[in-house]
Amino acid sequence: MIGKEIYWNPLLETLPPEKLQKLQLVKFKEIFQWAYDHSKFYRKLYSAAGIEPGDIKTFEDIRKVPKLEKSMFREAQGKDPYPYGDMLCVPLENVAVYRQTSGTTGQPVYQADTWLDWESGVEAYCYALYAQGYRNTDRLFLPFGYNVFIAFWTYHYAGEKLGCEVIPGGVLNTEARILKMQELRATAIGATPTYALALADTARRKLNIDPARDLCVRKMTVAGEPGGSIPATRRRLEEAWGARVYDQVGSTEAGHWGWECTNQSGIHVNEAFFLLEIEDLETGEPINKPGKKGKMVVTNLHRMAQPCIRFDSKDVIQWSSHRCECGRTFRLLEGGVIGRTDDITKVKGVLFAPTACEEIIRSFPELGSEYQIIVTRPGNEDEITLKLEINPGCESKVESIKDKLLTQLRLKTNISYNLELHDFGSLPRAEGKAKRFKDLRQH
Amino acid sequence: MEQQYDIKGMAAKIEALKKAAVELKAMSQGIPAVDCNVDRILTNIRILEISFTEVADILRE
Repeated sequence: MIGKEIYWNPLLETLPPEKLQKLQLVKFKEIFQWAYDHSKFYRKLYSAAGIEPGDIKTFEDIRKVPKLEKSMFREAQGKDPYPYGDMLCVPLENVAVYRQTSGTTGQPVYQADTWLDWESGVEAYCYALYAQGYRNTDRLFLPFGYNVFIAFWTYHYAGEKLGCEVIPGGVLNTEARILKMQELRATAIGATPTYALALADTARRKLNIDPARDLCVRKMTVAGEPGGSIPATRRRLEEAWGARVYDQVGSTEAGHWGWECTNQSGIHVNEAFFLLEIEDLETGEPINKPGKKGKMVVTNLHRMAQPCIRFDSKDVIQWSSHRCECGRTFRLLEGGVIGRTDDITKVKGVLFAPTACEEIIRSFPELGSEYQIIVTRPGNEDEITLKLEINPGCESKVESIKDKLLTQLRLKTNISYNLELHDFGSLPRAEGKAKRFKDLRQH
Repeated sequence: MEQQYDIKGMAAKIEALKKAAVELKAMSQGIPAVDCNVDRILTNIRILEISFTEVADILRE
């Protein structure tokens, strides 16, 4: 029998599904009422849709509530109460924490949190870290910039709450971070998959440090971009670090809603803190059964300052048909965040998700971890170019793998690619999340 | 899993903590060292309510 020691909160994490759904409905009604009562923006949005708090009686009624789009945040913000505008549901003096989105999809969104909102976010992250085996004997090292983006701030505070020792590696450069991890014998780190690969690479090539042999890091939580749930990327990370690699998912607007446990059978959705809906990519109809990809709509059930109610996240996910052996009743997602709808586009008439390429590229040890995908339309037809790096010492093997690579890519995505092979180190590196897909067509 | 725990008892203790914190703040007559720390305590009590008291209500139904 699975003991309670693997759960941060055994009551919530093993709540029977029907009671979990009941809890979600109660909480949804509360946060919806809160937003309706305390913000002109939300009241106007809901009134225009002809919906009031009293109209939400059943789970199915939740779909009547209009969705939040990122563009709505952008339009509402930049005004008084500055800078949050009339989305804010609390007096400005009750906003204790400011963060903003990274702006990879446009104008950054400002995120206001009360102290309770922030602590609620930290609490949600504790579920993840505890499930991944973090304990008060761990020494966490955080190699990120500690700036205005949410990044790994919550990982830091959740680590502290768990009783871990937390080392902030903010101002240090990549090499100094590696040396500090080594010096202090850090046992765990949090990073984007891109940066975790870059750290390992820098350690080997510039410092003659083999992370798997010479560092004490035995687990890492990766977040901020897909990768942790892409098997080939995870394998590269695990081999490079000699560590278990756990995926964790969330967003600035919604919070940290999903994570892997030590069983790694998928992403657990924290259904006590979040309500996740999946909608068909083309029809928008709800998907309640496993096995079909769809677009994620997420509600944070506790965020009060700037509620996130039915936020159209543009993330593509799918329910898993499995239950995890950990015993948690929180549902699983298959493969984590598979991609983004704003990255999914038709190329040569075929629906294309850039993340589909990553698994294949990173399964070839001859190729470096960095890549770029560029779509153009020089004439009347689309062209898609894959820019790849060759790992040092593998130059002679490249011709022999080209055909295999192109075949695998074609089978997976139904598209033929132009290949550009570059020297190792030529493609741009990112310290945080990487933007590897570029659509240069004029739409 | 819930059979192992005295959830009703825990909920009562959480309520008592909240009551004590609110009373302390009222007694302080605005001392910032009390008020700000109590506000933090009340935040964590709210987390306990989210984590246990509200679940207790659902389990009772």
